[in-house]
Amino acid sequence: MKRPLQTVLLALSGLGLLHASLFTDLCLRYVKAGMRPALIASGAVLLALAVAEAWPRRRPGRGTEPAAHEETGDGHHPTDDDHAGHGHDHSAVPRVAWLLLLPALSLLFYAPPALGAYTASRQAPEAVPEREHFDPLPSTSPVPMTLTDFTSRVQQDRKQAIKGRGIQLTGFVTPGGRGDGWYLTRIILTCCAADAQSIKIRIHGTPALPANTWVSVTGTWHPGGTLGTKSAPVALDAHTVKKITRPSNGYTDALPFPAP
Amino acid sequence: MQKTDELAEGQATAAVPRGEAADAPGGEPPRYWPLLLVAAAILPGAALVLVGQSVSGPALQAWRTVCLSVTVQALPFLLLGTALSGAINAFVPAEVFHRILPRRPVLAVPVAGAAGVVLPGCECASVPVANSLIGRGVTPAAAFAFLLSAPAINPVVLTATAIAFPGRPTMVLARLLASLATATAMGWLWLWRGRTEWLRPAARHTGHRPGHSRWSEFRTGFQHDFLHAGGFLVVGAMAAATFNVAVPRSVLDAFSGSPWLSVLFLAALAIVLAVCSEADAFVASSLTGFSPLARLTFMVVGPMVDLKLIALQAGTFGRAFAIRFSTATTAVAILCSVVIGGVLL
Repeated sequence: MKRPLQTVLLALSGLGLLHASLFTDLCLRYVKAGMRPALIASGAVLLALAVAEAWPRRRPGRGTEPAAHEETGDGHHPTDDDHAGHGHDHSAVPRVAWLLLLPALSLLFYAPPALGAYTASRQAPEAVPEREHFDPLPSTSPVPMTLTDFTSRVQQDRKQAIKGRGIQLTGFVTPGGRGDGWYLTRIILTCCAADAQSIKIRIHGTPALPANTWVSVTGTWHPGGTLGTKSAPVALDAHTVKKITRPSNGYTDALPFPAP
Repeated sequence: MQKTDELAEGQATAAVPRGEAADAPGGEPPRYWPLLLVAAAILPGAALVLVGQSVSGPALQAWRTVCLSVTVQALPFLLLGTALSGAINAFVPAEVFHRILPRRPVLAVPVAGAAGVVLPGCECASVPVANSLIGRGVTPAAAFAFLLSAPAINPVVLTATAIAFPGRPTMVLARLLASLATATAMGWLWLWRGRTEWLRPAARHTGHRPGHSRWSEFRTGFQHDFLHAGGFLVVGAMAAATFNVAVPRSVLDAFSGSPWLSVLFLAALAIVLAVCSEADAFVASSLTGFSPLARLTFMVVGPMVDLKLIALQAGTFGRAFAIRFSTATTAVAILCSVVIGGVLL
């Protein structure tokens, strides 16, 4: 009675992880791409545990060597109550273990979306690290840039290299609230969604698309203040806005991987 | 939005009593227990779906995402920790620990604390390992020193700290020293004041018994520990997600002015945010409004006490222990960070 349920729990958890990491890209909504091998391995280990748990039951007659030991091993619970005879112990796994079903089923059937505009709109923008040296911009036009790079170019680059240049930025749409324009946003995870930080660039000149739409924006710096100092607004006058699919490295502030 | 936050909170707190019910001593379960189990498993999910459909607010979506993200991120580390704990139980003879650790508990505590360097990973891995160490005859004080220091001072975390605070090696040093000091102090405090009856006996960790296959002992121990700790991980993730969604990051700025309040506030924030110890240095470095001392406190308290960890400890060692231990650890950790940070930073 008890052991099939444990098997189900382990198998569903393993399947959930494998479904999210190996068969689909779901896990990229929750963790960074670097975690993927670890998730695949975890899913495989959980499935293996489930198979090992189910094995002696499905082949009761064969009783392979380790399986036979395991039956007795399971029974000798150190609190030595009376279960030693029939090989399983009802108090072995507490009921709280069933909560593992929630993430497993959630991954399999009802996966929530990636963090987006709601989280970004509630956060103060991330502080951009101080930079002393800026390399000359490449001569391509428009120049693809990360949001962090654009921010530090606007506020810290005394040589004003981005002045008059076409810039290409990618991120998702966060509604701008009061005033003209909206925010092009990236959410940056270091480890998991509990430490999400956001970086935002104000976009002028085009109407906002629905929140959480991933877009690629080309345009020029929105003038104001003195470029290269804190007084310069981190904003872009958009010329074109193109919808894109969420890149697989969506939780980093990096140039998007080329679309497939 | 306020309403959905409350709903989300209701979800998290509703989950806790079920977790606590598991703490009740075993006994013979009633005959309808499978039904109870199924209900316990289905009801929260069903409620979540219903609430999700009726509200479907972005707050709830963010809550589910954060909750799932914390769980998914922690699962590989939890598996690593429970596999290690199963392996220690099945393959490592108890004499090994007696030979490595000094015989006197007072000396064993700092040695075990320093031994935390060897466990790479975040705090979810250390709880089952510490539990199996206790089961193998390691004095609890030394196991607790290991439990506290391992997630904070391993090379992965120290490297992350160095990257997050470029050009400030004293921050890494301060973190290392303050974490070690806290772990050692807590070990000694347990020797002085701790009582064994607060600890639930480590039932599963009996070590290798003659006549049993080591591999199947490993497997059953591994599986039991994982299922057990996994449930509590979900409880902790729910609680952390609730605070994460309910407390916007912009509230922080209100507290950054006063030096003393900011230390206490960031300590509290470390507990409720439950950021993984491998990442908390980056979060700390992003809290630019706060003094270095407050940020150090955040990084010392975070790996030792947080909602996810309290839930895991309550599941592994019992509630009586988890409450006392976490409270004392918080106080000692704040004290150590203030003293060491005050000298170094």
